[in-house]
Amino acid sequence: MLAFELLLQGLVQGSIYALIAVGLTLVYGLLRILHVAHAGLFTLGGYIGVLVTNATGSLALALLIAMPAMGLFGIAIYRTCYQPLLGRPPYVALIASIGLFIMMEELFRLIFGPYGLSYVAPPLQDPVGILGVNLKQAELAAMVGAVVLIGGLAFLAGRTRIGTASRATVTDPKMAEAFGVNIARIRDINFFVGSALAASAGVIVALLNNLVEPTMGSVPSYKALAIIVLGGLGDLRGTLIAALALGVIESFGTIYLGSFLDRDAIAFAFLIAVLMIRPQGLFGKA
Amino acid sequence: MQKDFIRFAAFAAALGASATFGLTGAALADSIKIGINVPQTGFAAADGKSALIGAQLAAEQANANGGINGKTIELVIYDDQASPKSAVPIATKLIEQDEVKIAISGSYSGATRAAAGVFQGAGIPYISAFAVHPEITRSGDYVFRTSFVGEVQGRAGAKLIGESLGKTKVTLITLKNDFGKSLANGFKDAAEKFGIEVVSEYEYSIKDRQFGPIVAKVKSDAPEAIYASGYFFTAGPLVSQLRAGGIEVPVIGQEGYDSQKFIEIAGPASEGVIITTSLDRDSDSPEAKSFIAAFEEKAGYKADMVAASGHTAMKVAVAALRKAGGDDPKAIRDAIAGLSVEASTGTISFNGLGEVRKDVQVQVVKDGNWHRHSIISDPELLAPPEK
Repeated sequence: MLAFELLLQGLVQGSIYALIAVGLTLVYGLLRILHVAHAGLFTLGGYIGVLVTNATGSLALALLIAMPAMGLFGIAIYRTCYQPLLGRPPYVALIASIGLFIMMEELFRLIFGPYGLSYVAPPLQDPVGILGVNLKQAELAAMVGAVVLIGGLAFLAGRTRIGTASRATVTDPKMAEAFGVNIARIRDINFFVGSALAASAGVIVALLNNLVEPTMGSVPSYKALAIIVLGGLGDLRGTLIAALALGVIESFGTIYLGSFLDRDAIAFAFLIAVLMIRPQGLFGKA
Repeated sequence: MQKDFIRFAAFAAALGASATFGLTGAALADSIKIGINVPQTGFAAADGKSALIGAQLAAEQANANGGINGKTIELVIYDDQASPKSAVPIATKLIEQDEVKIAISGSYSGATRAAAGVFQGAGIPYISAFAVHPEITRSGDYVFRTSFVGEVQGRAGAKLIGESLGKTKVTLITLKNDFGKSLANGFKDAAEKFGIEVVSEYEYSIKDRQFGPIVAKVKSDAPEAIYASGYFFTAGPLVSQLRAGGIEVPVIGQEGYDSQKFIEIAGPASEGVIITTSLDRDSDSPEAKSFIAAFEEKAGYKADMVAASGHTAMKVAVAALRKAGGDDPKAIRDAIAGLSVEASTGTISFNGLGEVRKDVQVQVVKDGNWHRHSIISDPELLAPPEK
């Protein structure tokens, strides 16, 4: 029973990791940029979620505003911050990204205050029974949301022209362009989708903790990097599985290893262990 | 349009100049500087804000009340981000450049401990408002603390659970930093004395907000009470997740919870949570009452433990400066050591190590506000370390 509950809790956490990491892996696959500031969009998504829900009472409206708004913000970051640096070595963009992320955290603190924001009447807090285990509705929503959003994304990537074009661009940008793929548009779409997913994760995490803080993105910013490395950089399916696996491992690790290994250290111990055996990541191609 | 802008700029410049001259003029003539390192950015910025407003309030009140023997108090404030590596240069700057004769820490243990060594080395008195690490006052005889060390508060927690609440099977959920660890150590030291059996202990890091796995395990441990250390931003999510997981036993916390924000985050789940702290909201003492009212007016939100501690530390500094009469650091140090000051957190006096002696306030959340639960007055149990 305890094991099942820990498994569920791990899947909840893993779903959130997945929603954040997918955007990162999309960007990495396309541009070979480690987009650390992605976690800033996750945080801002959480802030918008809380502010809109508190103002209107509607969580659905909050998601409908936060996701596209962060999507557009993601495009803006790409165009103003990364596009001018595309010709430079990847670490230049990485440094820009880290700087942008720190700036965002401090801006959140200046704009929204250091105390963080909470839902006045947090929605989705009632318990739901699953095979004898109680979960919060919000925890269930995290899992269902991740399955629906990432499943939908995988479907689009596999079955639509844009998806095909996107995959072609990842494989060989020059060839794709020669075949008439509008690469600039593909990049915009990737940033939009990835950032919107991060925003959805921000809203859900805000629901789980009833707290959005300026530094909420600091742990996801590096843990998501570990996840996309595990998943074999740029691989959507691998990222999803790595995120869920990490969530579950952390869940059990917190209880059985917590006294000597920090929860956040577990991710990196796992990462090191995997990379020693499979340097290309769990699902990367050698 | 441009003319308007120029006029505005000239006006602004004149205003700025007069303000600057006003300040330096005062500074040269008849002011006394008090240094303060406090986190204004980074993860501890929320506590830093409360502590700073509390300290500023005490300085304003003192200035309105004749200042220091006729001189105006001028605060020299630096942001240490609660980081030891910022605290050391800040301490040096306060001593060398600003030439303060006394300073206050409105920061966490790491930064305070690092700065304490610098102040001790320079022979400048330094008062820690709310940092808990035992090593801080061991830096030497120029370092004082107006709050409890973690161990003392942990022992008070054990007495509260074992004696007042009569619970014997307790699970510890410990924040993995100096604050949480020292609380847990104090609790475990005194547990046996109050008939408490620690059935399990789990640790979490300060960045954790998701406690699902711990909640699941605590449920299977079925304790009679939970002693959980943390700050309002970890304890809020923790308590709300414990209750959502169906755990109904009493949750006992400490001063880290002590903020209205804790109640806001945990919502209805916060009802009945009991903490050991330094500020009694239902106090009859005029000091505490006037502080609670004045702080809310100045800050725009309700007073918390950190604010009261910042206020108390500044009050101690002011009292010492008044008593010492001059700006000789040695005389100021001796004045602090011999003080007995009425403050919002109780009657403050120090032992030989510079640790505070006062009662522990027990507060409980009732109808969405902190209220008095009881007061633990046990000088033997609450005796701070002497060396």
